[in-house]
Amino acid sequence: MPLFDSQFLKQLEYLSLVSRRVFRGSLLAQKRTMQLGGGIEFADHREYTPGDDFRYLDWNLYARHESLMLKRFQEEEDLHVYFLLDCSKSMAFGKPAKFDLARQVTAALAYIALADLDRIAVVAFASDIVADFPLTRGKGRILSLLRFLEELPAQGTETDLARVINGFVHRNQRRGLAIVVSDLFDPAGFERGLDMLRHRRYEPHVVQLHDKAEADPKLLGDIELFDVETASARKVTITERNLRKYKKIFGEYQTAVQKYCRNYGMGCTQTPSDVPFADLILKMMRAAGAVA
Amino acid sequence: MSLANPAALMLAALAIPIIVFYILKIRLRRVPVSTVIFWRQIFEEKQPRSIWQHLRHLLSLLVQLLFLALLVLALGEPYFNWEILEARRLVLVIDNSASMNATDVLPTRLDKAREIARDIISRLRFRDELAIVAGGTEPHVVCGLSGHERTLLKALEGVTATDGPTRVAEGVTLARNLLGDHRNGQVHVVSDGCFEGHDKLAEAGDVRMYPVGTRTGNVGITRFQVRRSLLDPTGYQILMEVMNAGDEAIECRLELDLDGDVVDVIPLKIEPGAQWSQTVDKTSTAGGRLTAHINHADALAADNRAWALLPKRDPLKVTLVTAPNLFLEKVLEANPLVQLQVLREMPAQVPAGGVLILHRQAPATLPAGKVFVIDPAGECDLWELGEPLENPIVTKQDRDSLLMTHVRLDNVLMPQARKLTFKSNAHVLAGTVTNDPVYASLERPQGKVLVLTVNLDQGDLPLRTAFPILMTNALGWFSGAAGELRESLATGAVTEVTLPSTATTQGAAGALELWPPDGGQPRPLPSGVAQAVVGPFDRCGVWSIAPPATGGAKPPAAGAPAVEIACNLANRAESDLRPAEITTAQQTAAVAGFMSRPIWYYLVALAWLLAGLEWYLYQRRWIS
Repeated sequence: MPLFDSQFLKQLEYLSLVSRRVFRGSLLAQKRTMQLGGGIEFADHREYTPGDDFRYLDWNLYARHESLMLKRFQEEEDLHVYFLLDCSKSMAFGKPAKFDLARQVTAALAYIALADLDRIAVVAFASDIVADFPLTRGKGRILSLLRFLEELPAQGTETDLARVINGFVHRNQRRGLAIVVSDLFDPAGFERGLDMLRHRRYEPHVVQLHDKAEADPKLLGDIELFDVETASARKVTITERNLRKYKKIFGEYQTAVQKYCRNYGMGCTQTPSDVPFADLILKMMRAAGAVA
Repeated sequence: MSLANPAALMLAALAIPIIVFYILKIRLRRVPVSTVIFWRQIFEEKQPRSIWQHLRHLLSLLVQLLFLALLVLALGEPYFNWEILEARRLVLVIDNSASMNATDVLPTRLDKAREIARDIISRLRFRDELAIVAGGTEPHVVCGLSGHERTLLKALEGVTATDGPTRVAEGVTLARNLLGDHRNGQVHVVSDGCFEGHDKLAEAGDVRMYPVGTRTGNVGITRFQVRRSLLDPTGYQILMEVMNAGDEAIECRLELDLDGDVVDVIPLKIEPGAQWSQTVDKTSTAGGRLTAHINHADALAADNRAWALLPKRDPLKVTLVTAPNLFLEKVLEANPLVQLQVLREMPAQVPAGGVLILHRQAPATLPAGKVFVIDPAGECDLWELGEPLENPIVTKQDRDSLLMTHVRLDNVLMPQARKLTFKSNAHVLAGTVTNDPVYASLERPQGKVLVLTVNLDQGDLPLRTAFPILMTNALGWFSGAAGELRESLATGAVTEVTLPSTATTQGAAGALELWPPDGGQPRPLPSGVAQAVVGPFDRCGVWSIAPPATGGAKPPAAGAPAVEIACNLANRAESDLRPAEITTAQQTAAVAGFMSRPIWYYLVALAWLLAGLEWYLYQRRWIS
């Protein structure tokens, strides 16, 4: 069964219709850039210097305070939305695989952005950046994007988010919204990578996926744990007590991600992989107040 | 210790595959996971020590081998020799007589006895056997010798309460027969001790007593009987006796009612340990159910009420055909049960159910029905008339006949009688020295016949008290058993009853049942017989003999029973709820018992305990 079929496209169209305000609102980012320019939305004043355009002098202010102040307006630009899609082997885990939902969510959000005349780019990564879908604009590009996503395999070894984002932020590109779709199973921790995005004035949003078998594993007894990313095995004896401890650690990790995002004002969506992507998108919209 | 099934030890060979599986290295199941970063945090906190890892597996093997050993040993059914040598045979005699229904020990003494019995049963050892005997009303074996606890407990519930007398002594005899000459035989008696011979029983070496109940006062009706009045055909006499089996004087009332209508209320004041007794005369032709009850609340209810049955006395139609005879007419008129019709000539037919008295009549053929011929004037189809007998002297009387009850004719002056020669068999009730009948009865298909050959106009027979008695007896004989009183029985008694004619004529269709007073389970009666022995009666009240219930109806409807029998406790021993004191030495402490189950049971229990421990330690990975 193909990942993106006609039914998927219909759902994308429906989602784009109900989410006109998503990227303009508070869910993903502000469309306004930090650059000042010839927009119509007032930003602030600065002192007049010779050579400035008289049309932007605030005469009302001059009448009150007898000082020449120039009105500055916010420059309106296209929003650049970057999708950082984790395609490490851990993402292929689960029933259904987390990678399937990750690609569907990426495609859906990209379609909504394209429909809103924003620019999108997809960066697939594992231990490093493994594939790129270049910055593009217009709904017509959606099929190319879908093809790109469909042909993308789960690959690489251990996830290294810091290395990936380091490579990403050093590219010569405009700042914008950076949506990280991943399980964030990075042995070195997820914070460093996301910190880099913040520090480079990107606006990160985290979509963290997990499988129910990861949250509540049904393992007991003497078994050999096989790490699908590193292809390493470890013989362990799992007891009830171990299981309770695992669930506690996993829960704490999820909470840590949520707390990190909340502390830095980042959007954060955590979901199990068996949720339909449309429901997940609608849930994100409801959280943003984009739909009722 | 010996084994009943030593072949089971061969199953110990199962240890070989267990050890083989232990030695063989088992490949662990490989489980793919998306990441091990969380597991790493758990297992790197505390590395398991390799020596303990080794030991814990060895311990697991030992536990498994021990589990197998216990099961194999259990299958071998081990036993100790002393189990067989010391096995006991017990018989539990439970008193379920009326006094055991006393409520001085709540809920009742019998329930307390059952509780003690359950305790005895629970203390039986594996090879012990116990039988249960009910020791009230009719001693019987409730459950034969068995060591199965559930069977015994179920049988124990079958020991039901009765209102019958105590028969513990007979129960103990029955128990001893069950024990035979068993070396460890014991009789355990659970009783309130309200019976004679209790002390002797308690001293017997093979009997252990378990007393129940407390010393409690009680007031009860110990006698309640009714009989016909000797003076008044419609009257009856009631004999009542009330006993105060307590340590304090009591005041109460004895109320008598007939079918719900109060007949009499007698205030009673009885000293401790005394009895009050009285006979009262009452009159009733309608009959009914006579009930006595005392309004005194005490621990035993069964003796606070007593019943007696008064049958209805239907009037008897008597047709007297006579030349005027004042004595004969008056003696019949004086009987209140007689509806007298005096005729001078023979009627066309005898009234149905009535009695025809022919005085100095001579029909060639006696009419069908009940006929009493006095001083026959001629011969008929039953006899031939001979010469007159001058001054006959009665020398022979059938004293056993109801017709001659309280009648003495041997000193009566009878100047003239008629000599009769019967054509068929006749029963001579009174005869002369020359064997000539003076008074005789004849049974014929058309009806009973009496003949008195004495000339009433001569002699002093009409002037004697024997004459009205003779006439009353004759009318009673013609009436048959109808209207006769049936005495109230004491519980535990058996009696013979005459069943209705339908029981013999209709065969199985006329089958009857004996219904207890509370409408409980009826007892079937033999069909096709005229008389049956019923009892023993184990409940107080009015028992009924009636056809089987139809349509789910339980007790027979009022009026429907063919025969009714009143049954009262009427037993001083049962009403006296003060058991004889027995010494502490006679009282038996609860029988100590251990090893109440076979050894294999404990082995299996231990094996399962071990399995549970292994599961907890290893399957739940408490040891890791």
